[in-house]
Amino acid sequence: MRRKLALGVALLAGFPAAMAQTANVDWTSYTGDITGSRYKPLDQINTSNFSKLEVAWRFKTDNIGNRPEYKLEGTPLEVGGVVYATAGSRRAVVALDAVTGELLWVHGEREGARGAAAPRQLSGRGPSYWSDGKEARILYVTPGYQLIALDAKTGQRIASFGNNGAVDLKADSDQNIRPDLATGEIGWQSAPTVVGDRVLVGSAFREGFTPTTADNNKGSARAYDVRTGRKIWEFHTIPRKGEPGYETWLNGSAEHTGNTGVWTEMTADPDAGLVYLPVESPTSDFYGGTRPGNNLYGNSLVAVDINTGKVKWFYQFIHHEIWDYDMSSAPLLMDIMVDGKPVKAVAEPSKMGMLYVFDRITGKPVWPIIEKKVPKGDVPGEWYAPTQPIPSKPAPYARTGVSENELIDFTPELHQKALALVKDYKIGPIYTPPVVSKAGGPFATLSLGAASGGTNWPGGSFNPQNHTVYTYACNSCLLAMGLVPPPPGMSDLPFVIGQAGQPVVMINAAGADQGADAPLVKRAAPAAAGGGRRLTVDGLPLIKPPFGTISAINLDTGTIEWQVAHGETPDYIRNHPALKGMALPRTGQTGFSIGTLLTKDLVVVGDAEVTTTPDHPRGAMLRAYDQKTGKEVGSVLMPAGQSGSPMTYMVNGKQYIIVAISGGNYSGEYICYTLPNG
Amino acid sequence: MRRLAVFFIAIVAIAGSAKAQTSIWDGVYTETQAARGSTGFTSHCAACHGADLGGTGEAPALSGPKFLSDFDGVSLGDVFDRIRTTMPQDNPGSLTRDDVADILAYLLKANALPPGAKELDRRSEYLKAIGFSAANPRPEK
Repeated sequence: MRRKLALGVALLAGFPAAMAQTANVDWTSYTGDITGSRYKPLDQINTSNFSKLEVAWRFKTDNIGNRPEYKLEGTPLEVGGVVYATAGSRRAVVALDAVTGELLWVHGEREGARGAAAPRQLSGRGPSYWSDGKEARILYVTPGYQLIALDAKTGQRIASFGNNGAVDLKADSDQNIRPDLATGEIGWQSAPTVVGDRVLVGSAFREGFTPTTADNNKGSARAYDVRTGRKIWEFHTIPRKGEPGYETWLNGSAEHTGNTGVWTEMTADPDAGLVYLPVESPTSDFYGGTRPGNNLYGNSLVAVDINTGKVKWFYQFIHHEIWDYDMSSAPLLMDIMVDGKPVKAVAEPSKMGMLYVFDRITGKPVWPIIEKKVPKGDVPGEWYAPTQPIPSKPAPYARTGVSENELIDFTPELHQKALALVKDYKIGPIYTPPVVSKAGGPFATLSLGAASGGTNWPGGSFNPQNHTVYTYACNSCLLAMGLVPPPPGMSDLPFVIGQAGQPVVMINAAGADQGADAPLVKRAAPAAAGGGRRLTVDGLPLIKPPFGTISAINLDTGTIEWQVAHGETPDYIRNHPALKGMALPRTGQTGFSIGTLLTKDLVVVGDAEVTTTPDHPRGAMLRAYDQKTGKEVGSVLMPAGQSGSPMTYMVNGKQYIIVAISGGNYSGEYICYTLPNG
Repeated sequence: MRRLAVFFIAIVAIAGSAKAQTSIWDGVYTETQAARGSTGFTSHCAACHGADLGGTGEAPALSGPKFLSDFDGVSLGDVFDRIRTTMPQDNPGSLTRDDVADILAYLLKANALPPGAKELDRRSEYLKAIGFSAANPRPEK
């Protein structure tokens, strides 16, 4: 029997016998379900035995594409004994036997120039699964922005879906993608969300540090018929003339502004008939002078009708955003009990380190969110919103601004050096605006959160039984927000991110030019930046620990129940000569790709960085915390740091945990853990 | 009997060599090689990693304690292959093994690791015998 796959590779094996067994618990979507929970009430792996976990199998992704990948961010699915994941620099979908890891099929698309120009390359976050009980499909979005539907059994395209199994998301857009379909900037790296017979897709762009134009392509979110590939609706995140919200773009700036994508995961409440869209910031990330006004629906949570895409309610978290906070996380759809009353809630973790909680039917904040006056900046041409909303409850679960109190203080000498360093920068509370970088200072505004702090793309997780959100937050993701005029030919914006006196570096999206379609062509080396100022003190972080945390936030009460530093103290800190002989508490680690998995009683989450300690050889720990107390109850050594969020499932009565690891000199690998037999 | 004695000596020799494994602290590159690597770094690496190796955007710093710690415990061959197979990110595989060895020598020099009399080898398999350790395993020397 010969079958033709897009890659010309057919690896056909019989479906595993596991499919016929009972006692299976599946992980059917990126976040485990369409509510964003990342929770399965399994307890075979538990507080007493987590440290006994063994590797069940590994899947190395090096050959899924023409070069290895060191940024594997996927969370696999598991349905009926088969694991489905995106992998490799090709972003192919692989189907693996969930018990043995054997490769059942692989499907990838060669997209040529279109793949090479894609703003979001590499393996992406994952595929999605749909079944009506008779047939089953796997859907995913390629780097070149095509929605592909595959037969879950064979990995072959579904001929009756779209154009022979593919929908061209560029051609099928309400806007004309410029300059052309091959090179026009728009794509997506997240996993589609399947709700009933609908499949939801979003949009993403290059990094907004150094955009080439303010007049970029525009973001949107869309629903497609999962059977036919027909578009059902498209929500314009930047309203068109005549649509509500258009008036929040002064001087008609909605016409020419782009970005404002929905780049992270979406969730849905089918009973309420609502889909929840977390929308990112408009062009550009740190300069908004070309788009005066509050800029709806930038930086908003938008609840739209599942059938029509019409807005039911929305909430704007940041008016006229100029910090690159975006909205990074899947909305968490939780049923909670506040003051004795049941609330169908939606909770939104954020890069700002604040959790925003609403009634998900009405959009009314569960606890008051107060508009507070924020500092106005002095960047020429910029428009500043006078106030920004701050939740009264829960309290922030990560550092939100930079003050002298946040600076390194292991020793008085180090603190003095840190104080001297920040003298040349502007510091302040959250929403302190960027500055024009000046050679004599300020060089930049220092921000925590912003591009990569708080909770980033992995989002949070919640336990629907105890009504508690568990989330990682980066507490030390420091960013220097200095603006400089771009060099000739780089951008039509008056300012991009840079540092006075230094060459401006074009900052591409992570993975740009690294996907399997990117040509291996020699090019002239661009100007080298450097000689800039490092935000370190004698090689140590400028900001004091904890560098990263896991928090448990009870949403019945709106209180943080516990918070622990997450991640082994990095070697370069533990072994630093200035800290010799000091008993340091665990510092946690700086990172922005850490997502949590919840089982019945555990929070399972890995370290981002490898360490070597007296207790373990070089490696990164996959840890388990007790959900009740935050106490670490077990750990397993992994060969590299966690780079994609873990998931769990049960097949044949046996529980497994898969986590994506990569980084440093370790290329992408899915590792599957289980308990020893007997 | 004689065979046994040879076998025994071989074991001692292996154990001895394991104990004295070469590391990046033992002068494993030359000044001349690092000078060549400096030019290569400027041409192929500095645009992202910074002329001062301080890193820009998502490209990490390639000097300082954090860089040394991140690769602590692997072999120099592992670091060599990471560069050789994936760098520059927009043009992987474009550097020759000699280019990579020179650039790696420059990175060692930039991290204040001592030069020696012999150049870094261009073969990963040989570099795997050199340990990449953040701290000098024989500081008394």
